[in-house]
Amino acid sequence: MRVAEALTGQRVLITGATGFIGEALLRTLLVDVPGVRPVVLVRPKAGQSGADRIARTLRKPTFAAAVDEPGDDPRSWAARLVERVDVVEGDLADVPELPDDLDAVLHCAGEVSFDPPIDEALTTNVVGTVALLERVLAVDAAQRERGKRVHYVHVSTAYVSGRRRGPVPEASLDHDVDWRTELAAGMAVSARIEDSSRAPDRLARFNAAADAEHGPAGALTSAGDAERRRRDWVLRAGKDAGRERGHSLGWTDVYTFTKALGERVVEEMSGGEHPLPVTVLRPSIVESALVAPYPGWIEGFKMAEPLILSLGRGELPEVPAAPDATIDIVPVDHVVNALVVSAANPPGPGATRYLHVSSGARNPLSFRDVYVLAREYFEAHPFDPGESGPNRLPTWEFPGAAAAARRLAAGEAAHALAERAVKVLPRSDRVRRWARDLDRGKDRLELLRRYDDLYLPYTKSELHFVDDAALALHRSLEPADAETFGFDTAVIDWPHYVRDVHVPAVAAPVRRQDELRRRRRGRSGVRRELTAAEDVLAVFDLDGTLMSSNVLEGYLWARLPELSRAGRVGEVARVLGRLPSMLAAERRDRGDFLRQVYRRYEGADPAGLDALVDEVITPHVLARMSAPALRRVRAHRAAGHRTVLLTGAVRPLTRPFAPLFDEVVAADLAVGPDGLATGFLAAPPLVGEARAAWVVRHAATGGYDLRRSYAYADSHSDLPLLRCVGLPTAVSPDVPLLRAARGLSWPVETWGAPRDPGASGGLLRRLVPSAAGSSVGASLP
Amino acid sequence: MSRPGLVLEVDDRTPPLVVHEGDGFRLEEFPRGTRVVYPPESLPSVPDVEAAIDHALRNPIDARPLPDQLFAGMRLTIAFDDISLALPQMTRPDIRQRIVEQVLTMAAAAGVDDVELIAANALHRRMTADELRYMLGERVFRSFYPQGKLRNHDAEDPANMVHIGVTDRGEDVEINRRAAESDLLVYVNVNLVAMDGGHKSVPIGLTSYTSLKHHHNSHTMTHSRSFMDHERSAMHHSAWRMGRVLKDHLNIFQVETTLDNECFPTAYGFMQKREWEWSVKDQAAALAARRGLALAPTSMRRRIFQGVRAPYGLTGISAGEVEAVHDATLERLHRQQMVELDGQSDVMVLGVPFIGPYNVNSTMNPILAACMGLGYYFNSYRGKPVVREGGAVILYHPVPAAFNALHHPSYVDFYDEVLSVSTKPSVIEAKFEEQYATDPWYTHLYRTSHAYHGVHPFYMWYWISHALDHCGDIIWVGAEKRSVERMGFRAASTLDDALAMAQGTVGRSPSITFLHNPPHLIADVT
Repeated sequence: MRVAEALTGQRVLITGATGFIGEALLRTLLVDVPGVRPVVLVRPKAGQSGADRIARTLRKPTFAAAVDEPGDDPRSWAARLVERVDVVEGDLADVPELPDDLDAVLHCAGEVSFDPPIDEALTTNVVGTVALLERVLAVDAAQRERGKRVHYVHVSTAYVSGRRRGPVPEASLDHDVDWRTELAAGMAVSARIEDSSRAPDRLARFNAAADAEHGPAGALTSAGDAERRRRDWVLRAGKDAGRERGHSLGWTDVYTFTKALGERVVEEMSGGEHPLPVTVLRPSIVESALVAPYPGWIEGFKMAEPLILSLGRGELPEVPAAPDATIDIVPVDHVVNALVVSAANPPGPGATRYLHVSSGARNPLSFRDVYVLAREYFEAHPFDPGESGPNRLPTWEFPGAAAAARRLAAGEAAHALAERAVKVLPRSDRVRRWARDLDRGKDRLELLRRYDDLYLPYTKSELHFVDDAALALHRSLEPADAETFGFDTAVIDWPHYVRDVHVPAVAAPVRRQDELRRRRRGRSGVRRELTAAEDVLAVFDLDGTLMSSNVLEGYLWARLPELSRAGRVGEVARVLGRLPSMLAAERRDRGDFLRQVYRRYEGADPAGLDALVDEVITPHVLARMSAPALRRVRAHRAAGHRTVLLTGAVRPLTRPFAPLFDEVVAADLAVGPDGLATGFLAAPPLVGEARAAWVVRHAATGGYDLRRSYAYADSHSDLPLLRCVGLPTAVSPDVPLLRAARGLSWPVETWGAPRDPGASGGLLRRLVPSAAGSSVGASLP
Repeated sequence: MSRPGLVLEVDDRTPPLVVHEGDGFRLEEFPRGTRVVYPPESLPSVPDVEAAIDHALRNPIDARPLPDQLFAGMRLTIAFDDISLALPQMTRPDIRQRIVEQVLTMAAAAGVDDVELIAANALHRRMTADELRYMLGERVFRSFYPQGKLRNHDAEDPANMVHIGVTDRGEDVEINRRAAESDLLVYVNVNLVAMDGGHKSVPIGLTSYTSLKHHHNSHTMTHSRSFMDHERSAMHHSAWRMGRVLKDHLNIFQVETTLDNECFPTAYGFMQKREWEWSVKDQAAALAARRGLALAPTSMRRRIFQGVRAPYGLTGISAGEVEAVHDATLERLHRQQMVELDGQSDVMVLGVPFIGPYNVNSTMNPILAACMGLGYYFNSYRGKPVVREGGAVILYHPVPAAFNALHHPSYVDFYDEVLSVSTKPSVIEAKFEEQYATDPWYTHLYRTSHAYHGVHPFYMWYWISHALDHCGDIIWVGAEKRSVERMGFRAASTLDDALAMAQGTVGRSPSITFLHNPPHLIADVT
């Protein structure tokens, strides 16, 4: 009987219909098996109901083929398809009651990651299977009364064989691990990890680390980071627990380990008084489609992709893989076809059928083949070279796992060292570039480490999956069906598939990104268009953002002219002498630092300070203003935004910029009874979280929309300020802020100081010739 | 007896020649047959400057003697050329100081006590107190500056400006109120080049954007051929029309001075001389300077060159009625600077030196470098341009994208935002000029800080429009590629490369003319 015919009128439940395999399966059923009545079990996610999520999936262009004359509007064909798909809202962890007239259940949902924390892996692959099967058995009981049975198709993985060697048969796994014991123990470990993450000594460690990094930004920022560290630690420990338990029982990782337990659950629960007809389908590594929906169709990134991309970008000089290792890949449409054909041909009750959908046994592809083919592709179609010039494709020599591991370790050590250096170096464009390179290097190292730890076990040449049963099922197809629903992996022409189908599909999203970046680059230099609005704030930091200076220098500028020449030298010496403790104070707490600086204003005359700034300081400040910064402030003004200068500097020093801002928030020097500055501030300097609080309050009282507001700052201590607006920009940031900004996808800009050799150090030199080097005469030698 | 200008034809015996390039110079070997134009040597200078000034003031041309025009209770204003002249700055005492002191002495003798001094800086940056003190001397500075009676002209203070009228072509004539409402306006010029002086002094030096835009625009400047020749300069025609309107409203006593060609102090004496006449000492000095400059960091080179003071001598002074005085000035100036040149050439080579009118004590940014080379030097001709129409100009300057943010804030934005959109003067004018000219921040900086007016970079760009219109190829040797290309030009690393690049325009063996200035020269091309 033809496949479509066999399935006509059948109600088939699909789990994981929004995932990679499930989506392809749903599409094939809708397109090629018009008589089937699919039911999908979907959980609500991110505020969307299950029905919404399915409706969204059905709007994808690949589903257009499922209706006649689909037209151009996805909503029109999706509306027609929604009619054909029943939705059961529910989660695998707690499967709701299923319709009692199901003919088959195709369980495609599963954990997609190789190293989830142990509780997650167990919940999805074991608890979920138990819960689903309980419901399936209930449906089967109802169907039995009608003289029908429910066919349960379980999607597992070929790698449940774990670290075995040699041929793996299509049969029940041979091991004596008890899934109930492992489930209970795994969940208990997970709970203990959560508990111990809250132990005081561990919390103290998280707090200390967070303080060291985020202290200057303020207590709440630091606390937020400490909690993030705790969660990261829980996650990492959960992953470790899973991986190690998998290893200790002979599996490659927690994924294959829990998948194997899942198969045991299926075998045990289906083998009761009324054994179920069961198919266990074990695909190997599922990659992009060979034919349907179209060659190269892929959703999300799977296993080999990051490696392929890093080859194309010229980022990985070497890999720790064996060149002759088999990489067992199967196109997603083969897996889907095998599922559909299985559903159409249920085995007898109790005669559980195991099928390997894999390529290694009869059409092996080596790691080196993939490398050579991918390289051929990238040679013919290199990535956009970007600003750094064309990538040089690496030539992988496959030095062997040991040598590669040594290089990896050396690379990690060097990276750790450089990382420490970058954290203490003063900020500059060069340091930022180093930090960026380091982060990129870190990504590569992590990718390699991941491959070494996680993926390489999958490429063992000694392992191959016997696929006789699958092949027999394929051969039972009528010729026309073999055309539509075939899954004989021996037909795959690897050079065509890897070079012309899969790698281009993987490279496509990167090319789209490159294209976007290229277009953005082309736009730079032209004034950014800002939307005119009355209720938008544009908040600017001063030091390092608007101008190339710092508070300390500001002090020297403001205070020195009042001193006698001899006094100046002494003052410079005193300030320089205290520099280390001042800089240390800045790292600890910017407020402390500013207080130390302002102590030096003791005895200064406030009115005199204003006059001094206007006459002497203003020209030097204006000479140091960053032109792009000024342009941005003025663009905001032109757009009607309210421009705000937020600074820890004393108010007189902000006088040169006053005309640019609607509001200047600066430190006011306290004045004593003698009318002179006391060296203390009238109020605490506005730094870190206080700035954010000020902005939030100002927005609330003034009716400004923070989501559409802008903030510009350079320092990590301004993280809270940047966070509180919708449109933050990190300007010439220090390394911690650079990293935070990149992590949050904030724009990072460099607003250079004017490149003018004649302007550098002019005032200081004039004030203290002996301190800043003697002036050079006008005569030539 | 000083020798006249010279056109040398490069042959096998010609030594490498000095070519200025920003804060430095190079010794360049030119292809055989290159014509090198040297300015005349300095004319004899006036031996007794004080006496010459006194004589000029007492015996003016077509005007009553100055003492006769001074009376108690009158309002007297003395305007003077700002720091854009002379170049390099003069050794002290500046000629303006000497003249102003004598005018003040005569005014004091006549019992005049309402006297103000105004730097005629138009839309240039305000001069600093130090610069005013250097230019006018301690005595004048102390007597007037603290009382606010020595100040910069402020073209953006409406209360400070008076609209005098319009010319027969509808051009607004607007000048400084104090100057306009004075019984006598004495204007003290330093006529370094032929474009200065005449009716360019008051109608341009003391005016505002309203008035300037009638002649400082791309159309006028394309048709000022050249603006060093007022009879053939559309810009000067406009200024002359304005000057004639002013004449009916204002009593102007014009003082014009001409200088000799001594623009370098003794230490740089070799730069004044013709290379084949260098003594051993000159050769050593040139070599040492080359080596020293190569080692010096950029900032030190900048300081060395900005520190140069020129020991200019006075070749003559005339006072009286504007146009008559200016005719006398031009006669002296041409005698000092004019060199006859027989026919145009395919290629013109220029060395852009370290200083131009707008980067005194400042940075010569790319726009100013372009203006210096393609505005001032290109236009230093009478008759026809030195280069034939469609020919190539090769300039030497490093053209770093460096800006003085204090003096040239609108230049930075002009470079980043305007030149990145278009380099065509007429397009730039239509699209951006108004916005820059009326920008409140630039205006604030012009009025209170030391910034050139927002519109000033546009003027610089218009000044080169005749060159842009005339030349087929403009190539900069030794320049930063990025900044040169931003301005729509090309960069070459050597003269040979530049000539190779220009081949498409001028062929394989073009005729070449190198203008060996400074010192200043005007090529009289026949």
